[in-house]
Parts: sequence; C-alpha cells; structure tokens
Amino acid sequence: MKGGRFLLGAAVASVYVFLMLPIAIVVIASFNSGKYLKFPPDGFSLRWYANFFGSQPFMDAMQLSLVLAAVSAAAATLIGTPAAIYYVRHAKRWREVFRMVTLAPLLLPEILTAIALLFFYYQIGIGTRSSVGLYLGHIVICVPFVFLQVSSALYNLSPSLEEAARSLGASPLISFRRVTLPLIKPGVINGALFAFIISFDNVSISLLLKGIGTTTLPMQVFDYLRWDFDPTTAAASTVSIVMTLGAVLLVDRFVGLRAMRY
Amino acid sequence: MSARGAASRRPHWLLALPAILTIAALIVVPYVNIVVMSFRIPSTSKPYLPGFTLGNYAKALTDPDYFYFELLSDTLRLALTITILCLVIAYPVAFHLARTPSRWRGVLYALVLSPLLVGVVIRSFGWIILLANNGLINQTLKSWGMPALALMYNEFGVVLALVHVFLPFMILPLMGAIQGIDPRLEEAARSLGASRGKVFWRVLFPLSMPGVQSGCILVFILSCGAYVTPALLGAGRVHTMTTEVITLLDQFLWPFGAALALILSIVGLIVVAVYARLSGRIMRGLA
Repeated sequence: MKGGRFLLGAAVASVYVFLMLPIAIVVIASFNSGKYLKFPPDGFSLRWYANFFGSQPFMDAMQLSLVLAAVSAAAATLIGTPAAIYYVRHAKRWREVFRMVTLAPLLLPEILTAIALLFFYYQIGIGTRSSVGLYLGHIVICVPFVFLQVSSALYNLSPSLEEAARSLGASPLISFRRVTLPLIKPGVINGALFAFIISFDNVSISLLLKGIGTTTLPMQVFDYLRWDFDPTTAAASTVSIVMTLGAVLLVDRFVGLRAMRY
Repeated sequence: MSARGAASRRPHWLLALPAILTIAALIVVPYVNIVVMSFRIPSTSKPYLPGFTLGNYAKALTDPDYFYFELLSDTLRLALTITILCLVIAYPVAFHLARTPSRWRGVLYALVLSPLLVGVVIRSFGWIILLANNGLINQTLKSWGMPALALMYNEFGVVLALVHVFLPFMILPLMGAIQGIDPRLEEAARSLGASRGKVFWRVLFPLSMPGVQSGCILVFILSCGAYVTPALLGAGRVHTMTTEVITLLDQFLWPFGAALALILSIVGLIVVAVYARLSGRIMRGLA
C-alpha cells in the first residue's frame, strides 16, 4: 500500500522533471560562457545576450514577431468574440456546425493548412512576396483560441443579467457595452493573450508563408539550429520565454487567470 | 414596441459573419484548392502543367521501391509509438493531478500547462543541447571516460522530444476524465475485495476511456503532422511524410506534394476512425 503510493509519487515527480528539463536547459545554456553546455558549466556570461541584442537579423525577426503577434491577436479577437457571442447566445439550427467551422483551424493539421494557404496564395497571385499572406495565416489559426476562451466565459455568465438590463430599457448595444462586455472581459483578454502566444511561437505557418527576406523569431532560431550550434539562439529562446511569461503574469495581475482554459 | 420585439428581428447572424468569411476564405477555399492541386500534372519549371491526372496518387502508392509506402508506414508507426508512450507516461500524472488534495495542485497544473506556452522550436532546442553528439549527456559521459551514445539524428531522439512536446495534450483530457469519476467507486471495488490491479483495469481505466480516447486521437493527429521536431532532432536522417512533403515543396513538385499530404491526412483519419470504433467496443466490453 505504502509502496504503491511512493512509486506513484516518484513516477509523477519524474514526469514533472521531464516536462521542465529541456526548457530549463535552454535557459542555463544561454548564461553559460562556453559554446557547449558541459557539466559542471564553464561559468556565467552574458555574451550570448550581447550577441543576440547586437544582431540585426535577430532584432528584425523579433520586431516582426511582436508586430505579427499583436496584429493577429487583435484581429482574431475582433473576429472570434462576436462569433462566440453568436454561438452561445443566438445560434440555433447550425449551432454545432458553426462551432466545428470556427474551430477548424485548430482541428486541422497546421502544416497542411500552411501548405494549402501557400498554394492558394500563389493561385490568386499574392504569393509570398509581401507579408499579407503571413498575417492572414496567423490570424486564421488564432481565431479558435479566442472563440474557445470567450465562449467559456459566456457560458459562466447568466443571460438573465443582460435580460435585466434590457427590461430596464437599455438598448441591445448599451446592454452589451455596459453589462456583457465588462463581465466577459477576462475571457476576451485571455483569448487575446492566447492568440498572441500562439502567433508568437508559431513555426509551421511562418515556415511556408513568410515573405522572401523576412523571418520571425522562432523561424530565425529554427534556421540557426538547422545549420550550426550557436548559443545566441539560447539567448533568443530565453528572451522569448521571458516575454511569454511576462504577458501571462501581466494578464494574471489585471484579470486573473481563473477563466483560462484550454 | 418592446425592446424584446426589436431584438428578435435583429440580424444576429451578422455576429457570425466575420468568422464565417475568414474560415471560408482562408480554410475552406485553400483546402478545396489543395485537393484540386493533387490531381494536377507536376512540372519542375512552373507550379503545374494544364490538365488533370491520377498519376500523383498512383506514383505515391505504387512506386517500384515502395519508398512512399514505407514512408507512410514509418510515419504512422512513429505516431503510434509516441501516442502509446504519452498515454503510459501521462496516466499517473493525470491521476495524481485529478485526485491530489495538495495545496500545490494549482502550481502542478501550471507546470503541465507551461510547456505549451513555450514554442516547439525552443523545446526541441532543449533536447538538442541534451542529446547532441557533443551535447550535455555525451560530454558528461566522455568526462567519465565512457563511450558517447547516438541519442540524436535518429528515431530515438525524435520520439523522445515529440513525447515531451505532446505530453500536455494527453495529460489534460485524461485529467478531465478522471476528475469526473467518483472516487467512492474505487473504494467500493476495493472493499468488495478487488485487487489494486483489478480496480484499475475494471473500474478506473474503463471509466476514464473518454479521456483516453480524446487524448490519443489528439496526440496521434499532432504526431502525424509534426514537422519542426523531426526536422531538428532528425536533421535529415529521420524521414516522415511531413518532412518529405516540405522537401517536395522546395523542389516545386507541388501537385505530388499535395497528393502525399492528402494521403497522410486521409490514412490518419482512417486510423483514428478505426481506433474510435475499437476503443468504443473495448469500453463496452470492459464495463
């Protein structure tokens, strides 16, 4: 009996170590002064960070990634929020079909979506010369995340609050702005945050749709890793981990992550 | 005229319109297009030649060395291995997370979720630092005077890293399913004299089957489509359908690449459908 408990505990603990190990290793490698991480480490150094922040390609990539993620998150929020309101409050006959359609970018293999979009862009003539296609691709894969977050926020909100506002004479727009929106705001912000992170970390879509001569931060890291081992990529990775973590903590601070659900 | 009367005539479907238009333009049309593309005649100088053919599918399924056939079976085998490993590793964690009274539960839950917030490239990179020929593990082995191991550039490294990448997708649905099972059912079975193993196989596991099913389907589909991790950890020495399709795109053999991608998706869906039926039957048999 006792032995079983202990065994379960040990198994569970080792899985947590397994989950965290590679991420911790990247962070450690970014502060290691030597090129290869050894045990024990060579010593503490910030030179890979100096490399990263001093590298024009990396800085350009980071700028594109940030703008891309912000634009995609904003657009996906504007598309996904009304869709969630429609699904939870108004949809009747085609309810489940509508849900599946909206979730389609999440349910289909991302790399297949990227290939389909690449062919499509060439067929209609936008190609990958500009980054319009890249932005559109990121927006479409972000929509389901906003939709899921906002619809779960709406489910937890009783429609009687809106009905009360309406029966007191508020117009639909006023009741939405003064009652519904403030109450689902945490869901909307969580959705936007998720969308931001999904876009910021995305590789499959960017791999095929990035314009010629431009690249995103994860793509830049991916390209570096394919050809050579350079700890500058560890610094780049750590910076992007810190940014993601910062976004999550910021949201937690302002709206709380209780509504956050996958 | 009441506010309610006005509301019922309001065109609510306008709320759904932006999402429907986005998905129609950027998912439905491109997917129809990729199907059409797979019947086009390939060419190395332009995307495709005029006219249609079944040749791409014929080439993929019947080429003399069975190269693509083997590629497909390798891809499915890898995906299956990853799915089973994820299930075995995730189950104890999901069980613990669902049942623990610990006040650290929130932290542990965040630990399971947090890898999802770190991009796939970064997580694969972590494994490269550990597993490379002059990586942390081999450096350490060398300093102890032991021979280096081939941990990367082979299926071992790819499977290990992909299990890591997809594990949260297995833990979360399993946890949801186990949370829905009343612990008193297990206690009842125990008090009636069932062994721990019997309680697991006859009570817990069958009741958690919906979670097992959705976790396995999710991980299997994701594994079939994985590109980044096989490309980085396999570094050209581990080939899957997905890495092959990307190579074909680089060579501008678009119609053939489209056919391969669709074959993989269709076969993947068939495997999932068969699995869903089988596991449904097993579920009824066990219960």
